[in-house]
Amino acid sequence: MLPSLSRISSILPVIFFLLFLKRNRIGGFWVIFVYCLASFVTDKVYGHLSNDTERFYVYFSFTFVEYTLFTLFVYLSLKEALFRYILLLSSLAFYLFAVFNVIGKKSEGFDSLTASVEDILIIIYSIFFLYEQIKGPAAFFIYQSKSFWIIIAFLIYFSSTLFLFIYGKSFEKNSTYWVINNIFDIVKNMLFTVAFALKTNKKQQYTMENTYADT
Amino acid sequence: MILLQIANPGSSVPTVLFFGTIGMLSLTIGLIVFIIFHQRKVIRYQMRLQKLEQDQQKMLLNASIRLQEEERQRIAADLHDDAGPLLATARLYLNENLVNLDKTTQLQSIYNAKQIIDDTIQLIRNISHSLMPPTLKNFGLESAVNDLFQKISGSGSMNASSRFHDYRERLQAENELIIFRVIQELVNNILKHSNASFIHLTQNTSGDRFFIRLHHDGRGITQTDFDKLNKSNVGLGLKNIQSRLKVLHGKIFFEKDMSQTYYKVTIELVKDDEHKLTKVD
Repeated sequence: MLPSLSRISSILPVIFFLLFLKRNRIGGFWVIFVYCLASFVTDKVYGHLSNDTERFYVYFSFTFVEYTLFTLFVYLSLKEALFRYILLLSSLAFYLFAVFNVIGKKSEGFDSLTASVEDILIIIYSIFFLYEQIKGPAAFFIYQSKSFWIIIAFLIYFSSTLFLFIYGKSFEKNSTYWVINNIFDIVKNMLFTVAFALKTNKKQQYTMENTYADT
Repeated sequence: MILLQIANPGSSVPTVLFFGTIGMLSLTIGLIVFIIFHQRKVIRYQMRLQKLEQDQQKMLLNASIRLQEEERQRIAADLHDDAGPLLATARLYLNENLVNLDKTTQLQSIYNAKQIIDDTIQLIRNISHSLMPPTLKNFGLESAVNDLFQKISGSGSMNASSRFHDYRERLQAENELIIFRVIQELVNNILKHSNASFIHLTQNTSGDRFFIRLHHDGRGITQTDFDKLNKSNVGLGLKNIQSRLKVLHGKIFFEKDMSQTYYKVTIELVKDDEHKLTKVD
């Protein structure tokens, strides 16, 4: 039940993105749209695989795509050059690490190490974004920003699944522990949906009138 | 502890997984809540700063308006109290009865009226010169400042000198007037409050920067005093200086000389800025 719900939930942000295409065309939201599609397709393909090697490569490829798309989104959202530079450097290091990790490795069901490193990196990037928001706020109510909801989705999903991915290697494919992944995958997709449905209200921009009206 | 358990293969995986996930989730939620509240706090603080700056600008604008009003009142008083009675007296000399008077009285009346009209012309010229010094208009800032300093020196109360090191190219007329008014205000303050025995003004440039420095050996103010006076309701003249320099995107610094003997006032302007300002105008 939950795995099916999790699979279907990735369609929800896709629908909302297309439904509110006009307001989601700006920024790097198309990256998240592509990610949701990739996630849905991977889940579908993964369900039909019986071979451990195939599963390993499909999961590894998805980790690769997932990291690339999330990093691209954060890269497009960041303003500070130093953070962007760190992102590029650490991405290069991650790709090298992931490739070296997979070469010559006996293919297993889940590449725990790469996924855990990806988790940690995405959490760090999300913190970069939030730090930037504190330093130079773009909107008075941070939760009025679409990017904020996307980043929160990353943060909640990746921090909740970090320990699961660390131990992922030792679980069976159908272990009950994967429920954690399904639950937070649904949460993540819900948050993406909120981001895509959110209307960018110009009245909520960072102005003095709003601040004093609020106090 | 959790990391130790992870490192230990014999540890209970579900426990570590459970507490690890709960811990990370709590940390994340805590971080999000902190970010939301902190961001609002930061914005409020920035807004407060902006409001203070706006208040300061408002104060400068008020000072500038008050000064303009005072200037208008002074001109009105000059015209009403001096030019008005003079012209009224001249009118009395030139009344309709003049034709019935004898020739000598007529000539005397015309002579008196002429004298009074000459005085009035001089008075109006003085008012006009105080509004826009002709030397400044015709010969530029350097001549106008030299002229002002010569007049001060000529009065014998103070030794005043000025030297322009690099002023081959004149600034735009309106900018010259603003700088001249600032110098006038500073000199007035020195004359009124400092008890100085000399004032020395120097002008020079460095790259795209234009500097005017005033030295005097009397009682002066430092930057802290200037900032304090600017924020208070007193110090109308200083606020006027500030608002005039704001138009030119200029800066002013008040300091005590290294030797602690002289007070120094430095006006700093960006030459390109002035050109831009003129083009916009």
